[in-house]
Amino acid sequence: MKVTLQNVTKRFGDSLVVNDVSLEIADGELFFLLGPSGCGKTTLLRCVAGFYIPEAGKIWIGDTDATNLPPHKRDTGMVFQSYALWPHMTVRENVAFGLELRGVSKEEMARRVDEALAMVRMTDRANYRSPQLSGGQQQRVALARALVIRPKCLLLDEPLSNLDAKLRLEMRTEIRRICKEAGLTGIYVTHDQKEALSVADRLAILDQGKIQQCGAPCEVYERPVSKFVANFIGETNFVEGPVVSVDEKRVVVQADHGTITSSVLPAEPVRVGQRVALSVRPEVIHLGEPPRDGVNIFHGELRESVYLGEMAQHQVVAAGTTVKIFDLHPQILTRPGHSKQVTVWCRPENVVVLTR
Amino acid sequence: MRRSTAWTVAVLMGLVFGVTFLLPLGTVVSGGFFVGGKFTLRYLIGVFENPVYAEGLLNSVKIAVGTTLLVVLIAVPLAWLGNRFEFAGKKLLSGLVLVPMVLPPFVGAIGFQQILGVYGSLNTWLGTSIDWLGRGRYFGVIFLQALALYPIMYLNVAAALANIDPAMEEAAENLGCHGFRKFWKITLPLMMPGLFAGGTIVFIWSFTELGTPLIMNYTRCASVQVFDALKEIGTNPFPFALVVVMLLASAGLYALSKLAFGGRGYAMQSKAATVSGVETVRGLRSVIVALPFVVVTGLALLPHLGVILTSVSQPGSWYQSVLPHAYTFENYREALGHGITVTSIRNSLLYSSLAVAVNIVLGVAVAFVVVRSDLPGRGALDALAMLPLAVPGLVMAFGYLAISSYLGNQDWVKESRFWQSLLDVRTNPTLFLVIAYAVRRLPYMVRSSVAGLQQTSVTLEEAAANLGASPARTLRTVTLPLIMANLIAGVLLAFSFSMLEVSDSLMLAQRADFFPITKTIYELFQLIGTGKYIAAALGVWAMSFLAVTIIGASLILGKKMGQLFRV
Repeated sequence: MKVTLQNVTKRFGDSLVVNDVSLEIADGELFFLLGPSGCGKTTLLRCVAGFYIPEAGKIWIGDTDATNLPPHKRDTGMVFQSYALWPHMTVRENVAFGLELRGVSKEEMARRVDEALAMVRMTDRANYRSPQLSGGQQQRVALARALVIRPKCLLLDEPLSNLDAKLRLEMRTEIRRICKEAGLTGIYVTHDQKEALSVADRLAILDQGKIQQCGAPCEVYERPVSKFVANFIGETNFVEGPVVSVDEKRVVVQADHGTITSSVLPAEPVRVGQRVALSVRPEVIHLGEPPRDGVNIFHGELRESVYLGEMAQHQVVAAGTTVKIFDLHPQILTRPGHSKQVTVWCRPENVVVLTR
Repeated sequence: MRRSTAWTVAVLMGLVFGVTFLLPLGTVVSGGFFVGGKFTLRYLIGVFENPVYAEGLLNSVKIAVGTTLLVVLIAVPLAWLGNRFEFAGKKLLSGLVLVPMVLPPFVGAIGFQQILGVYGSLNTWLGTSIDWLGRGRYFGVIFLQALALYPIMYLNVAAALANIDPAMEEAAENLGCHGFRKFWKITLPLMMPGLFAGGTIVFIWSFTELGTPLIMNYTRCASVQVFDALKEIGTNPFPFALVVVMLLASAGLYALSKLAFGGRGYAMQSKAATVSGVETVRGLRSVIVALPFVVVTGLALLPHLGVILTSVSQPGSWYQSVLPHAYTFENYREALGHGITVTSIRNSLLYSSLAVAVNIVLGVAVAFVVVRSDLPGRGALDALAMLPLAVPGLVMAFGYLAISSYLGNQDWVKESRFWQSLLDVRTNPTLFLVIAYAVRRLPYMVRSSVAGLQQTSVTLEEAAANLGASPARTLRTVTLPLIMANLIAGVLLAFSFSMLEVSDSLMLAQRADFFPITKTIYELFQLIGTGKYIAAALGVWAMSFLAVTIIGASLILGKKMGQLFRV
């Protein structure tokens, strides 16, 4: 079911934790709330679950105005960061709990619990108690418990943060598979950008209670709208300087080490003389021979390389500015104190002009 | 901690414990089963066949069940309210709720009778002559005990509730469960370990409580029967058998609660990142939430108020009147001028201080082995040190008395004044009283030291060792200063509970010049005429003294106070 937030504001005492947030999450969409800790993402999720009532704004779940509904009447399925499996009940009892409250018949309950346990591959642990389960297993039971009631939307509060790296990778594809199979609308809170980029249909970046940008993962990554977003998602190089020329196709900016051309025009028009920031991702800067008629070509000194196997991280200093470069399948490497003269270049379509 | 040191401490502890705890218990058990050197079940069965003893036991069970139920009714709602709501004056009120712990219920009984007796304040005020204390004073006894013991349950339940991850309940709400159903299906089962732990202590305590039934004149219960039979300790096996039955019942209950919950709460995965579940209430709603605290504290302080009023009333002036007719401070003067009261205060201070000194050494040593060594069986040592909580004071006192009376009849003791004054309580009970006080309060000391050590990361000690500090120096300069707050709290509790100890004091102190405060209060109370008033004055003195120490302990320990009352 679709979930709509209209101008939601939540404060704790004097601090404004969620500030005028509006979102529309489509039916069956897996939507991520991403941001640094304290940005208000969990608070926003708890507003949807009904554990907090916003001071202003409206929350719609499907066609129901849920703004002031108590949590138990919202029919959302929540997966808690600490899983919150009841230690005095078995796995089966935990999962069946929501169905009991919904007055589901004995046979149907048994069938649906089995189904849910099979879906998260926990059938063989049905009679265990939660303290006997590993973190990953508890996580899956918590997911089954939330799914089995066929919620209007699934709410996930940093569900993988207590798992080790390998299990996290496994579970995030698992969660996406389950949500898509069940056709569920999901709101997923995380601070892990890899998790968000790889699993989300769309995501929103929050900072200080406000949405900074909302869109598909590749859109947010490749076309960030602000320095905060460009810096928060992935790594980037910032270059600042005044605009020297602008037309419908390109913007040219005067940086310390020469002019840089961008073919990505910002949403707000820029004028000549205005100071802007340019974001260039490390992986779009290339080392070696540039194309014949290319622009954005600089000569610099390769100061340091960190070899990471599939790629290398280089530091190149050009006109006093240090630039970070990711080089896939690296050919050139250097050690500190053995710098080399190199040529670096990047395409205008990979340079993003930021006015904020 | 070095293995050899740990072993030494553990073995020494085992020995000390064997002599001071297991030996008296063994004496009681063998006294009940072995008569004339032969094993027999005759007396044990006889206890149940003898209609007087059987009735006494049944009444004791009734007292324990009634008291425990009443305690649950009082303490659980209070703890729940305190856990869920933030209201004006909460800090003060949740502190006041603990105040009843400062007075042994038997002292309160004096004031209680003044207020609720047939010729007491309430009846005079209402113009009735109802026997509020109930037929056979049963209701009076359980009411009074419940009002004195509910803080133990309150602390346990509050600790259990605080330990529940708020997400546990949120998950239930999220799935559509709320209100009383949520409490019944989620909250109650999760706090059950705390409820059971508190319930076990309250049950054992009230099952064997001696002072309250004695003062309330409810003589047909097992504890009073044992007390009355003390004179026959060398000749009659029946009191032994009666004590054995009480011991078995208490130990059985203790084992049951250990089996059911392992004595620990459910380990929560983690505390939720968000603080929630606590609702701040204002205005009228705040008053409604605070009201139960006020009512319970008021009721619980009623006996104490009665004691205070009795202590300042002209002897005989508080009879068939709401308040005393005439006030006087004469009782205090008389109390402090009375020979035995002054010596009893001095005696109590001496016994308690010595007992606490023993406790500090034993408690810290045990805590070190339990927390800082890898000794196999250190958990057993911990459990052993907590065991005195499960054994009724009456049983222990009876055991000590039996040992002393056995030793006192040996020729080598009779012939030497030194041995006599050390080992025969009829001559001088100091040694036995100190041991009795120390053993029974050891759990508080061990618990608070263990808690302190667990909170103090071992890396702090390792850092000192790494910089060249010897183990002794590390202990003195790093460890002890860090656990000092816990030690002080443990000391205060052990000390104050020793000061108001009832069973050992009533049973072991037999000569007036060695009476501790509690025994003096009891003896004074029995004097016709002004005795009751002087007893009340002494009670007020003890009450103020203990109030200061308990409040001090709770200020230092804060929420961790509950840990001290868990088996």
